[in-house]
Amino acid sequence: MASTSGPGGVLRRIRGSAYLFILPALIGLVFLVLYPFAYNIFISFTNMNTYHIRPCVNIFVPGTSCYNVQSNLFKNYLAVFADPAFLRIAVNTVIWTFANVIPHVTIGLVLAFVLNSKVRGRSIYRMFMIVPWAMPAFITLLIWKEMFNYQYGVVNALLAHIGVGAINWLNGGCSSAMLAMIIANIWLGYPFMMIIFSGALQSIPNELYEAASIDGAVGFRQMRYISIPLIKPTIVIGFFLGCIWTFNNFNAAYLITSGGPYAVSGGSVYGCTTIFITEAYNLAFPGGGALANYAVGAAYAFIAFLMLLLPGIFWTRYTGLTRRTS
Amino acid sequence: MKGNHNTGKSARKLVSTGAKHLFLILMSLISIYPVLYVIALAFSQGESLAMPNLLLGFIPLPTRFTLEHFTSILHLQVVTGSNFPVWVRNSLLITTTTVVGAVALTLPAGYAFSRRSFRGQQASMFSFLLPTMFPGVVTIIPQFLLFASLGLVDTYWAVIIPFIVGSLSLSIFIMKSAFDSIPREIDEAAMIDGAGEFRIFYRMLVPLTLPSIATVGLWSFMGAWLDFALSHVMLSNNSLWTLPLALYDFLQPNYTYYGSFSALSLVMAIPVFVVFMVFQKYLVSGLTAGSVKG
Repeated sequence: MASTSGPGGVLRRIRGSAYLFILPALIGLVFLVLYPFAYNIFISFTNMNTYHIRPCVNIFVPGTSCYNVQSNLFKNYLAVFADPAFLRIAVNTVIWTFANVIPHVTIGLVLAFVLNSKVRGRSIYRMFMIVPWAMPAFITLLIWKEMFNYQYGVVNALLAHIGVGAINWLNGGCSSAMLAMIIANIWLGYPFMMIIFSGALQSIPNELYEAASIDGAVGFRQMRYISIPLIKPTIVIGFFLGCIWTFNNFNAAYLITSGGPYAVSGGSVYGCTTIFITEAYNLAFPGGGALANYAVGAAYAFIAFLMLLLPGIFWTRYTGLTRRTS
Repeated sequence: MKGNHNTGKSARKLVSTGAKHLFLILMSLISIYPVLYVIALAFSQGESLAMPNLLLGFIPLPTRFTLEHFTSILHLQVVTGSNFPVWVRNSLLITTTTVVGAVALTLPAGYAFSRRSFRGQQASMFSFLLPTMFPGVVTIIPQFLLFASLGLVDTYWAVIIPFIVGSLSLSIFIMKSAFDSIPREIDEAAMIDGAGEFRIFYRMLVPLTLPSIATVGLWSFMGAWLDFALSHVMLSNNSLWTLPLALYDFLQPNYTYYGSFSALSLVMAIPVFVVFMVFQKYLVSGLTAGSVKG
């Protein structure tokens, strides 16, 4: 770099200290993210649970003094894959991800287009539409849980007005609970997409539209041949980010239903709205004094990670996020 | 079509404008509906969720307007031995420490990534990015076991340290692009004047990145102020609870305080909401800072 060999080479002399600048952050990252990540993989190959944990003295050297914790080899993974519940949870995860992200992108795109046309009062509309994004999701999700209350919730009250009987959203059938969870999360997600698509639309130079209208292309044709192709990179980014975020959205998948209600499939109990990450969490932290199965929870967490790895690599490549800019 | 071509066109335009407004009004209403609902509940008497008061059949209004929930959450003892002031104090303590820690760690790291080139730079930048691909639970389980083995579960550190580290991925890249946007000539001029590197860093560059520091602070603030998943695991002793845990507890099946829940959720949400609306632009640019190619 030109500047480092600049005046008198002063910068070169103290170059060694660059590591000092990143060291504190790096230590945090190593001990709280990278090491736990490796440790999670280790746990997933053991029998670690509420009972097989206590004598683990030196946790920094996995396996050494944890005589109570034994290697399970692939037993956890085999058990997970053999469990009929696994398939249901996998299907839930896929449904959950796409049933959220596709509406997020679609609604966000439509709103961005409508708000980008010369509608009167669009800044006020825009302000209202940002509310789901600006309100803390943790809180609005709990509000949605109230709204879906069987007896008193406002959703059923509204349905009653149009003559639909009360639905037991959260504790009735599998599909109604999933639907409730997805409705709440669609509500949470479209404003972000709207914001990034509006930004992309506004960055398209006006001359392009003027030139197109001289050539006789108006309305939908402009949208089809100018707007959409030009904001396509942003749509791709939105879609991928949306998939990763939704797949990982613990709060949205946990706060409303906690994974329930429960049903039986092939002799094994599974949560109707349980996805990979909530299953991992519920296995490790079941609450109420139930057996905490850290090992199988860790296995589920690792499986979830592997499923994200491919889109994650694609995402990093696509955006060139680690590329140096200077 | 019969009639004047022009009137046909303007009529069609009128219809399309009307349709747009109808759509936008509907979407605006949907967007703010849960908030309207919780406002109505927070100002209604009683702890019940039953709320028959729907204006025009759909707009929620308070039944028998009252401020009792806002005054009562200040004294309410949901679980014996713990109360609202303690939770507020816990939340403030944890959040403040997190923000200070996050800014203190991100500033130098962002600086080094922007201004220096050193061996292992690409690799360490990538490793900071790596956690964004981890599902949160991949680290929650081992972090819990790690803190348990160190005897740190049920202490403030069990959440503060992971909060700080958890905010790094996004924050370091926000800070890096902030430093990238400051011309290097500034450093060089100061260096010729004899200023040392550290002095240049904190006397000249840091003041120029204040908006980004604010963004980093805001993100780490919101992460800590609103966290549930990690706090739920790490803080089981209710005298250590933060506001999100208290709020979650209001909705437990055995004792539901819907009125208090609604009041508390407004109290918790409004500061975040206001900050979000005011700093929207910075927040979006921070979020997409990394995603711009080049």
